[in-house]
Amino acid sequence: MIAVQDLVKEYGRFRAVDGVTLAVKPGEIHGFLGPNGAGKTTTMRMIAGLLKPTSGRILVDNHDLERDPEEAKRALGFIPDRPFIYDKLTAGEFLTFHAGLYGFGNGNVAGRVHEMLDLFELRQWEDQLIESFSHGMKQRLVMSSAFLHRPQAVAVDEPMVGLDPRGARLIKDVFRRMSERGVAILMSTHTLEVAQEMCHRVSIIQKGRIIAHGTVDEVKQMAGGSADEHLTSVFLKLTGGSALQEIDEV
Amino acid sequence: MSTQPFPFLLLPHAWASRNRVRRREKGDLLRGIVFGSIGVVVSGVLFYGAYWVTTQLAAYEEFGDYLLRLGLSWLFLTFLAFLAFSGVVTSLSTFFLSDDLRLLMASPVAARRFFHARFARTVGSASWMVIIFMAPVLIGIGVGRCAPYGFYATTIATVLPFSVIPVALGSACTLFVVNVFPARRARDLLMLMGLGFAAAVVLLLRFIQPERLLRVESLPDITDFFATLQSPITPMLPSFWAGETLFAAVQGGFDWLHQAALWTTAGALTVLLGAAHARWHFAGYSRSQEAPKTRFARFRTLDLAASMLPLSPVRRQLLVKDVKIFLRDVSQWVQLLPLLALVLLYLYNFRVLDLDRIPYMSGFVKNVYAFINLGMAGFVMATVAVRFVFPAVSAEGSAFWIIRTSPISMHDFLWSKFWTAVLPVLLFTEALTIAANQLLGVDPFLKLMAAATIFFLTFALVGLACGLGARYPRFNADATQAAGSYGGVMFMIAAVALIIVTIVLVGWPSSMYLMAQTARFRYRLTPERYAMIVTSFSAAGTVCMATWWLAMRSGVKALDEMRK
Repeated sequence: MIAVQDLVKEYGRFRAVDGVTLAVKPGEIHGFLGPNGAGKTTTMRMIAGLLKPTSGRILVDNHDLERDPEEAKRALGFIPDRPFIYDKLTAGEFLTFHAGLYGFGNGNVAGRVHEMLDLFELRQWEDQLIESFSHGMKQRLVMSSAFLHRPQAVAVDEPMVGLDPRGARLIKDVFRRMSERGVAILMSTHTLEVAQEMCHRVSIIQKGRIIAHGTVDEVKQMAGGSADEHLTSVFLKLTGGSALQEIDEV
Repeated sequence: MSTQPFPFLLLPHAWASRNRVRRREKGDLLRGIVFGSIGVVVSGVLFYGAYWVTTQLAAYEEFGDYLLRLGLSWLFLTFLAFLAFSGVVTSLSTFFLSDDLRLLMASPVAARRFFHARFARTVGSASWMVIIFMAPVLIGIGVGRCAPYGFYATTIATVLPFSVIPVALGSACTLFVVNVFPARRARDLLMLMGLGFAAAVVLLLRFIQPERLLRVESLPDITDFFATLQSPITPMLPSFWAGETLFAAVQGGFDWLHQAALWTTAGALTVLLGAAHARWHFAGYSRSQEAPKTRFARFRTLDLAASMLPLSPVRRQLLVKDVKIFLRDVSQWVQLLPLLALVLLYLYNFRVLDLDRIPYMSGFVKNVYAFINLGMAGFVMATVAVRFVFPAVSAEGSAFWIIRTSPISMHDFLWSKFWTAVLPVLLFTEALTIAANQLLGVDPFLKLMAAATIFFLTFALVGLACGLGARYPRFNADATQAAGSYGGVMFMIAAVALIIVTIVLVGWPSSMYLMAQTARFRYRLTPERYAMIVTSFSAAGTVCMATWWLAMRSGVKALDEMRK
């Protein structure tokens, strides 16, 4: 599970994240929504251990990221929005390297690597250099590395960017299967249809603060909308973008 | 279709250069002072060397003129080879691999304008360094001969077409290879050219055998020597035309024939190359975009060897990853080849020079050369470290998130970088030092001392490069840019200072020991002097170890603080 408590990140006088608290239980897919510049990526980067919070706590599988960073990271899989990986390694070598980073011995690595390559439909590319991969293939490879070490929790930033419909469908299926196996998934996304379709609960962040959280229906009620209302209009109401939607409807 | 003249296409490059100059970054002043001073010193040495040789030759009248003429042809012949090689490498980038080609090739720019813009850029990029080296030499010759102002104007009018000719031939070679070889393998071309170039330099110098000048008893060979010097200079080469033009100008005349030969050849080659590009460039460019599947070395032996090392899985995988990425990136390791060629030449000089024939090179003074050799090995090590070890952290680039989100400490990560680098650097510099000292025939004590000093210096310099590389990483820059950054300059300054301090600390006690070994000095080693020797050697070891440890600790701390 992922637990974030009173998380604050300041850049000089600017407070990018202002007291964010959220919890993702085992088996839960939690959508993390918000407009551009709201603090989503900053929060995700702090959870991944890439940024140091100004204050607050982050727990991954009950390991404090500040006090016990290696155990916390061992329990987490992170998928960034842009899949920067080593171009001069093959897909198989990259996953073997990744397994090594997470402390896998030599004995059981090859089987697990093949399992993940099969799952993400990359097995035929196992021995090809990553530099020849398309954006979507790189994205799937990063995802396979995130699940390779059997994490208890996964933090994923914009998972659907650059994926074709087949790839997007595959990722949704994988996320659902992983959540059924008890993996806690925190998913930052702009694609509200994906959040509505997949997430058990959502949190909406604006100007660094969580302004709404709960199940999708609970958030709709909070915004004064009906259960049939689309999440997009609820999101725009909550984040002050309803005028934009009206223009769009005109 | 765009009707802007072709220089318009050079504007982004010019603006980017202007913006780079305008931009103020930490360390710009220091970098400017260091590189500026080095440039001034090198130019001064070249100018004075050319001036001195020219004035000395003036004393020998016709023979002096002959040698000056020969020297000019050789100068241009050497630069001809450099420019042709540089033209191949630069045109591969400007015409086929550069990122902005996607924009330019998709825009409605006429093929002729595109070619002229790119070719002008290729000539500029390939020749600026050669021209910077050539200018002080030619000015030194002009001043040494009290040449009229016309000589300097002729120099400009000669160097310009002279630069175009080999670059055009190099570009034509690239155009051919890119169209013939499978795409994406074009970068391997660099490797072939690098190997060929290094081999050519070594062979050329072997061919001349300048050491024959030192053998007084073989004076009749001198005529052969000049015949050898004369043989590669044919009237068909542009280097000969350039040499003849400038030789006429330095005497106040003007050689219209050879000047015309330079301009007409440069013009004709530009027109022919333009036509060849109009016909084959797009085909070659298309090939460079293709090939999703490439052949590459899998290095299974490396996997096997790494699996046998007593390392944790994390360290083993970091090692394998770093080595494979380095070996598969031809543009990285090909840069070792010119260095290797220079080292081979350095050792070859020691092998062919018969030092015992030169009176002042024998005995005690010969041992002093062991320290010069030590300094040279240290400088080679610093150069290798700044180019290959310093950028090790920066080389993670945009993929560094993988390391930072994984459960390994920055301590383990940086130390893995250190151990990966230290072994090859140690083997290389120890081999260089031991071989050079063996060929020199220095005292056995000095051989041992030099080997031990290199061992300690390797740890210190590789540690310093790793530590400062982690302290001043440039994740968005390539390895060459990272090496030339503020941190790279800081490393070179610190490395040179460390090498000097270490050589002083080991040189002083070594000289005491050697003086005691040489009877004519009547110098005895008292217990106090023994204590001073031990203290000085220990101080050298301590300085190296402290540099190593403090630099690594500082690097780990900087990586840990990156989260802030």
